[in-house]
Amino acid sequence: MNMSRAGKLSVAVTALLALAGGFVGVSAATASQPNSHVQPQTAVTGETYVIGTDTTFAPFEYRKDGELTGIDMDLIRDIAANQGFNVEIKSLGFDAALQALQSNQVDGVIAGMSITDERKLVFDFSDPYFDSGVQMAVADTNTEITGYADLAGETVVAKRGSEGETFANSIKDEYGFTVKALADSATMYDDVKAGNSVAVFDDYPVLAYGINQNNGLKSVTEKEQGSSYGFAVNKGQNPELLAAFNTGLAELKSNGDYQSILDKYLEQPAPVAASGFFGLLSDSLPALMKGLGLTLLATGLSILVALVLGVLFGFCKVSESRVLRGLASIYVSIFRGTPLLVQAFFFYFGLPQLTGQPIDVLTAGVLTLSLNAGAYMTEIVRGGIQSVDPGQTEAGRSLGLGYVTTMRRVVLPQAVKIMTPSFINQFVMTLKDTSLLAVIGFAELTYQGQQIYAANFRTGETLLIVAALYFIVINLLTMLSNQLDKRFNK
Amino acid sequence: MSKNSAGSRIPAGSKVSVRGLRKSFGSNEVLKGLDVEISEGEVVCVIGPSGSGKSTFLRCLNKLDELSAGTVIVDGFNLSDKTVDLNEVRQHIGMVFQHFNLFPHMTVLQNIMLAPVELKKQSTATARASALKLLDRVGLAEKADARPAQLSGGQKQRVAIARSLAVNPDIMLFDEATSALDPEMVGEVLQVIRDLAAEGMTMVVVTHEMGFAREVADRVIFMADGVIVEEGTPAELFGNPQQERTQDFLSKVL
Ligand SMILES: Nc1ncnc2c1ncn2[C@@H]1O[C@H](COP(=O)(O)OP(=O)(O)OP(=O)(O)O)[C@@H](O)[C@H]1O
Ligand SMILES: [Mg+2]
Repeated sequence: MNMSRAGKLSVAVTALLALAGGFVGVSAATASQPNSHVQPQTAVTGETYVIGTDTTFAPFEYRKDGELTGIDMDLIRDIAANQGFNVEIKSLGFDAALQALQSNQVDGVIAGMSITDERKLVFDFSDPYFDSGVQMAVADTNTEITGYADLAGETVVAKRGSEGETFANSIKDEYGFTVKALADSATMYDDVKAGNSVAVFDDYPVLAYGINQNNGLKSVTEKEQGSSYGFAVNKGQNPELLAAFNTGLAELKSNGDYQSILDKYLEQPAPVAASGFFGLLSDSLPALMKGLGLTLLATGLSILVALVLGVLFGFCKVSESRVLRGLASIYVSIFRGTPLLVQAFFFYFGLPQLTGQPIDVLTAGVLTLSLNAGAYMTEIVRGGIQSVDPGQTEAGRSLGLGYVTTMRRVVLPQAVKIMTPSFINQFVMTLKDTSLLAVIGFAELTYQGQQIYAANFRTGETLLIVAALYFIVINLLTMLSNQLDKRFNK
Repeated sequence: MSKNSAGSRIPAGSKVSVRGLRKSFGSNEVLKGLDVEISEGEVVCVIGPSGSGKSTFLRCLNKLDELSAGTVIVDGFNLSDKTVDLNEVRQHIGMVFQHFNLFPHMTVLQNIMLAPVELKKQSTATARASALKLLDRVGLAEKADARPAQLSGGQKQRVAIARSLAVNPDIMLFDEATSALDPEMVGEVLQVIRDLAAEGMTMVVVTHEMGFAREVADRVIFMADGVIVEEGTPAELFGNPQQERTQDFLSKVL
């Protein structure tokens, strides 16, 4: 096909460039390490680099049987092996991966990312490793749209911040259509199949792969001449990693490994026969259970911390000190007055930029959920304490009991009983809120579900299974909590 | 004696000595300068129209309400002194409320034992024995393991009295202890108070029960609009009130 010939030409050029770049990198590294004379060592040898990537950008990155796979994944792993460094892949989503790179949460990003002038301002790019191009697809039942001219008055969808979006925007005025941006390919395809948009603009290899996986779309136009994909590091950071990537890429191209990776994903794969619902269930259950485990872990940790925060600030709220009351009120209004999603982004991406201290996704997630739930817990604790008849405190105090004793023996036992249903409610809310952590790449239940339907395009069935798991777990936990409530709060 | 540990204790003839007591809630002055002396073993009944400040006066005696001005010396403790240990003071002053304020999550016995045990005045076993004795005294020995919710109003109030007696107070304050009761239960509670009076307990009793005041009080204080309008023996105050406001009030309630 057309593309492979153009590709081969650029392979030769980039290989030369990469070799040159690689030599500079190697010589610089050896100069700074005069003692290493046993093996041809480079600055990256034995190092481990954290590489961010998209969640669902088949065939560049997607999950198969729970394992991250795809052109990008094979490429970065083979290059790492070739150059003697280790990679730890973080599947974050495209936007999230770029933000993570900017905040030095990851060392590099390989995510089917086009090399653009804008991005070059903030990132340093490797030599191009793939020539992409945008292509349009419509629902396979659609016979009306056969070219851009048929799009007049319609809505099309493209991936936010992608080349597809740029291209669609560049022709939308000419053809008179509207562009809607969504975050990932699977969602976009569903949008088209559901008829919310008539067409999708996506990168050609992604579309080709999806269509081949029976995603219900078809392409009706030729691929547009597009830009090239590159591996990126943060501006001025990790130059040795970039150099090693270029050297490795050149070697893979010359030893044929590069071409066999492309063939593996882009050569017409035999369409996979869709397994039945139970096949899907048994295939997806291991990954989903792993996700459920993380969901429960994050919920448990968050609720515990939230309980401590809630009691602490709850007492502040009922205290006589204006300062403590004010403090608690500020805390509550901040976390109740901003969306949880924004808080999650802040703790995962914003905080590291402010402190220069990277934060792992579980910590960021638990921090978000516990601070958020803690604000609601504060109000529950305050409400519980205040709903106890003030006469109870007066009776306690008039007996000569101190504030603490009166609280502990008289007010709290009654308040806890009042608060328990609200606690259980908050517990369930927090469990459900963990699903929002999927956006920062926390591999909980919803995230696992997204990974699965991104690869198999069976969105409805997969989400049904995910929802059923939430439903079962939440109802079991609610029943258990109510049982405990009855037992201890009679 | 442990009572001396709260440094500001003043040995005095009076059990309660109130001088120039003023109390305001915001700009609303509720007590406008009260002077009261109560000697040991005296039973003082306080009567007066609603809103006249009777409860507030009582609550100033154990500092459930802060004092705005004046001095209050109770059982030798100067309550105007910020350093006085209120928890210590309050163990010398029992208080009984209109709405009982029993602890609903505890049994009758636990209600009574709570303070002595928490204050480490008694071991659990001793506290239990004394609690049972107190319950017997108010005629409720068989209700030891009942919850407050299972008691009638009169029984609740008797438990509440037993509870405040459990820390061996020297003074008892009653704030309309029978106002929330059905008429047929008033008698049993008044009987307990009457018994306490007979045992020589110093008491301040805010009440609407004029008959009772006439019977047990050594002295009756009539309050209106935050001042003491008139005081005297029951015979003086009920039989021959001097002030017009007293006469007015009595003509309405008697
Ligand atoms: N915590 C408070 N805050 C503000 N105002 C109060 C407070 N407690 C009492 N007051 C006011 O003080 C005044 C006297 O109240 P208090 O309860 O002492 O009257 P009382 O003589 O006991 O009346 P009653 O016979 O109805 O019990 C009333 O006007 C009341 O509204
Ligand atoms: Mg009153």
